[in-house]
Order: sequence, then structure tokens, then C-alpha cells
Amino acid sequence: MTEAINPAAARRCAVHQQRPAYAVCMQCAKTLCQECATQWDGIWYCAACLSTRRSATAAKSRVGGWIAVIAASLVILYLCTRFMVWSGVLLAGLR
Amino acid sequence: MIRAPLSTTSVLDESAAVVRATVTPWAALLLATSIPYRFMQIVFADRLIELGSNASQYGALLRTTADVTCAAFLLSLCGRAIYARACRLASESGAAPGREALRVPLMALAGYVFVASIAEAVTYLLFVTGLGIAFGAVLSGLAIGTMELNTEPGIRGPLRRLARYGGSSRLIASLALVFLCALVVALLNVATLVSVIVSLASTVGGWDAARWHVLLSIHNRRYVLMIIAGALLIIEPFWIAANVLLVRKSGSAETGDDLRVWFEELQRS
Repeated sequence: MTEAINPAAARRCAVHQQRPAYAVCMQCAKTLCQECATQWDGIWYCAACLSTRRSATAAKSRVGGWIAVIAASLVILYLCTRFMVWSGVLLAGLR
Repeated sequence: MIRAPLSTTSVLDESAAVVRATVTPWAALLLATSIPYRFMQIVFADRLIELGSNASQYGALLRTTADVTCAAFLLSLCGRAIYARACRLASESGAAPGREALRVPLMALAGYVFVASIAEAVTYLLFVTGLGIAFGAVLSGLAIGTMELNTEPGIRGPLRRLARYGGSSRLIASLALVFLCALVVALLNVATLVSVIVSLASTVGGWDAARWHVLLSIHNRRYVLMIIAGALLIIEPFWIAANVLLVRKSGSAETGDDLRVWFEELQRS
């Protein structure tokens, strides 16, 4: 069952009916005027789809950030104990 | 409460006011979380001195002590984070902060643990050169000062902020110098206080004064190490408060907030 597309409506912006369509959102297939369309990574999106996509990317980078900061802290803390022993032994040997 | 323009004296003046506002219970909490770490550092140093040139043969023992010290270090970082937040709240409101100080954002804490670990690693790595303590203290001070600016998890953000606020190097160096002098004064004060207590106690009957004089003399390395740890514990709240204020004042100097507050206060007076 495919929805019939009104060709006249398809040539108008889904948000601003009086404006002519300029691009189509690649996610929700809405027709968009020049103001409503935003290109990201070479693909046109409407404001709602773009914000969903961006928040998903931000969440992904936040998870990456957490993993990076925890892993780096653990590695550095491990090195800390080794440096502590190494410096201590070196100093004790100098006495 | 960002009043005077950015300078060493203004940072020190305001940090004294902040420490006064946060002394109970936040400075006490800082002390309670720092004591295990300082104690483990004493144990480690004591073992090293005792082992001397044979220390390299006791690697497992020293590694175990270092691991426990590291765990105590993590606990002390939590205490420092809460105290730094309390200092920030006190500097904003001018009053003693409430339970709000306990709500340290996890992202800020994670960023702080990362940078403070780097500072600690640098301290131990450069310890033999003599520069390690100074360099590590400055880095850890900046780390606690910039803690609450970490709003996103990641490793680049905290390092970038450290580099940004480390730019006012003259101010940081002068603060470090002041606190070095404060450490010496605190050392002398703690040592004098202990000797006065021992002298007073020796007048009380049933007190084995001779034994305590031997235990609490500068010839006893454990006593000397404990005095150093005690002095560090005393100046730690001031050091944290000074760094929190330094970063806040540097930030407000960049945005012009300090001038706005300054003019408002001038108009009011």
C-alpha cells in the first residue's frame, strides 16, 4: 500500500507551504525549502532528523569519552605505582 | 565573591575566607579522606629507608605497598573533589555550603581523576630529579582547580583546560612559592606543638617521658615522616581553595566578569 503523492504538495516545503521545495530530507522524505534543509556529511536533513542524528552521535562520542577517560586513568594509575617503586628503589640505592 | 583583580595576594586572601567558610564539615572530610593516603606514603617511605640499598630485592613488598597507596590516593581524590566543589560554592555565595557540595558531577570527577593521576605519575617519575614534587604539586593544583569545568567525558578536554589555565605561569609559580614557605612554617608549627605537648605531659605523673622523648625526636625517622605528612594535611585545604579561586578568577578575568563585579561594588560603596 503506497500513499499517493500529490505532485503539487511535493514541490512545496513541508514546514513553509508558501515556499518552493529545495531539497528532500533523506531520513523522513519531507520536502524542504532552502531555510529548512541542512546538509550534513553531504546529505540533506530536516531540523528534527538532524537533531536526532546529532544527539545519537553525541551519545556515541560520550560513551567513547567515558571509555577513554576510565581506561587512560587506569593505565596511568598502574604506571603511577610502578614509577613510585622505581623512583623509591633508585633513591634508596643512592643512599 | 570574586572581588579583587587577579593577583597572588587576592587569591590568598579570598582562599583564607573560603577555607574559613568550609572548615566544617568539608575540610574535616578532606582530612579524613587524605589521612589514609598520607599514612600509606609514610609507610612506603619508611620501608624504603629501612630497606636502603637492598630495596631492589623487595620489589613485591614495595609494589604491594604502592598499590595500596594508589587505592588510598583514589579515596583522597574523592575527598578533594568534594572539597573543591565546597570551595567553589562558598566563593559564589560567601556562606558555608550545604549538602550540595557532595553532588560532584561524575564527568568532572572522572576528568579530575585522569589529570590528577597524570600529576601523580609525573611527581614519581621526576622525583629523583627534585623537580617532581614542585611540578606535580602545580599540576595537581591546576587539576583540582579546573575539575568542575569538565562537563564532557574525555581525555582531551581536561588536558586542554590544564594547558589553558597553566598559561598564567607567573601567578602559579608565586603561589607555589608561597605554599612552599607555608609548608615549612607548618612543619615547624607541628613539630613545636608536639614538643610542647610532650613537655607538658612529662609534668603529669605516670607518664613515661623519657620513652616519648626518644619516640618524638627528630632522630626518629617515622616521627619526621609523620610531621611532614601532618604539615601537608594542614596546608592542603588552603592549596585546594587557592587553586579553585585561581582558576575561577582567571576565567572571570578572561570574560570580563571580574571588572563587572568590581564596578558594581564601587558603585554600591
